[in-house]
Amino acid sequence: MMSSLAFTVAARVIRQLTRDRRTMALIFIVPLVVMTLIGLSFPETSVLDYIAPALLATLALFFGFLLTGISFLRERSQGTLERLMASPVSRLDIVVGYLCGFFIFALTQTLIILLFTIYVLKVNYYGDLWQIFVFQIIVIIGAVNLGIFISTFARNEFQMVQFIPLIILPQVFLCGVLWPIEQMPDYLQWISAVLPLTYAVDGLRDIMLSGQNLIHVGVELAVLVGFAVLISILAAVTLRRGT
Amino acid sequence: MPSDNLIELAVEVDTVSFNYNNLKALDELSLHVPRGISFGLLGPNGAGKTTLIRLLVGLLRPRSGSIRILGQTPSRKMAHLIGYMPQLHSLYAELSVTQNVEFFARIYGLSSKTQRAKQVEGAIRLVGMWSRRNDAVLKLSGGMKQRVSLACTIVHNPPLLFLDEPTVGLDPELRTTFWEYFSALTKQGVTLIISSHTMDDAAHCDSLAFIRDGKVIAKGTPNDLKQATGRPEATLEDAFLHFVRTWGKGE
Repeated sequence: MMSSLAFTVAARVIRQLTRDRRTMALIFIVPLVVMTLIGLSFPETSVLDYIAPALLATLALFFGFLLTGISFLRERSQGTLERLMASPVSRLDIVVGYLCGFFIFALTQTLIILLFTIYVLKVNYYGDLWQIFVFQIIVIIGAVNLGIFISTFARNEFQMVQFIPLIILPQVFLCGVLWPIEQMPDYLQWISAVLPLTYAVDGLRDIMLSGQNLIHVGVELAVLVGFAVLISILAAVTLRRGT
Repeated sequence: MPSDNLIELAVEVDTVSFNYNNLKALDELSLHVPRGISFGLLGPNGAGKTTLIRLLVGLLRPRSGSIRILGQTPSRKMAHLIGYMPQLHSLYAELSVTQNVEFFARIYGLSSKTQRAKQVEGAIRLVGMWSRRNDAVLKLSGGMKQRVSLACTIVHNPPLLFLDEPTVGLDPELRTTFWEYFSALTKQGVTLIISSHTMDDAAHCDSLAFIRDGKVIAKGTPNDLKQATGRPEATLEDAFLHFVRTWGKGE
């Protein structure tokens, strides 16, 4: 159950972002622009059908991580996190509050991407739309918590941006987004086995391309839930009172 | 645990040391501050004032020694009893003045809507920002942000305030206004711990500690400290230099 303090933090995050109109516009426009470009660059529908699940998972991870990482870093650099840490609010309340606040925007972006992929790019899929969406929610929760956690290691926005090629890009190459994992050397396959995007891509492909349901992708879902829980605990633990 | 009104001391610091890696920030520092006064932590930049305040509000833990705030060890459980104003403005730039103050009112447990609205208005009025209450903080000047930051600190009416260089960057007029706020708060029985590196601030405090190299080199009222120099015309700056020299000899 979400505590009232976590709710207060979440409400503040949402209010703050919605008052920043330029950021709000970018949250809506950037996914549309990216998806339009992707759609135009894939003239072969069959190729796009195959790559779409991996793209949806990757973009959910990317946008969730980017939005949260940068926003949370601002909390540190502008001193508001320090003020919060000296208040009665617990570290868990802070992490849960930020998670819920940022989740709404990451979810909006993912929904835009998903609906655009299906209704504008007319990607063929077999599973239920709601099951794809539920699966994506789990991916986003992990991505948002990953952003909070990684921001602990950055001292400014420039450093945070440097984490994108370190955290996101290797997953794009190692997690079966561009080519099958089986074609990679063994040691890279071992690495891919511990990366969350591998399970996100696998699960979404199973739902969208094979028409399986959430129970069939239970292993992938369980791994992603485990990742989200683990990373949120790490985010709370590393959120020292001394920032 | 003693009951709240029996605790005479707002702050008890006993032989506290703190290091940042190899840098000794506080060196067996001891300090006792009674309730209901304005107490100045005076010293040059890098003397250890901010580290001490961050230890007092529980953001850092001492490597050795003990700290008690209103008779308790600093922790989240007693955080509602204190107000902390960091050096940075520490405000949400996109939110309005009221939204910022309201947020901290909620965080500090003011759950009754009526009571919260009353205290938010009271805090904003006290710092003279009521006419700008709906403006986004990013549109305010540095001095105004400082005033809003103070409103966020006092909105839950804590009995003890820690203000880290609250007057830095303020023009003389606003600095005077701030000291009027502080004076009004001590009259209500609030204890204020204020760090500063200017002797102008020091003169307003009921009591002072001169801090240098992580140690308290002198304590007392502004008059006591001036008189200790042995020169009737001595200023607080003279007093500080006097104690720096005598402390150096004693080392």
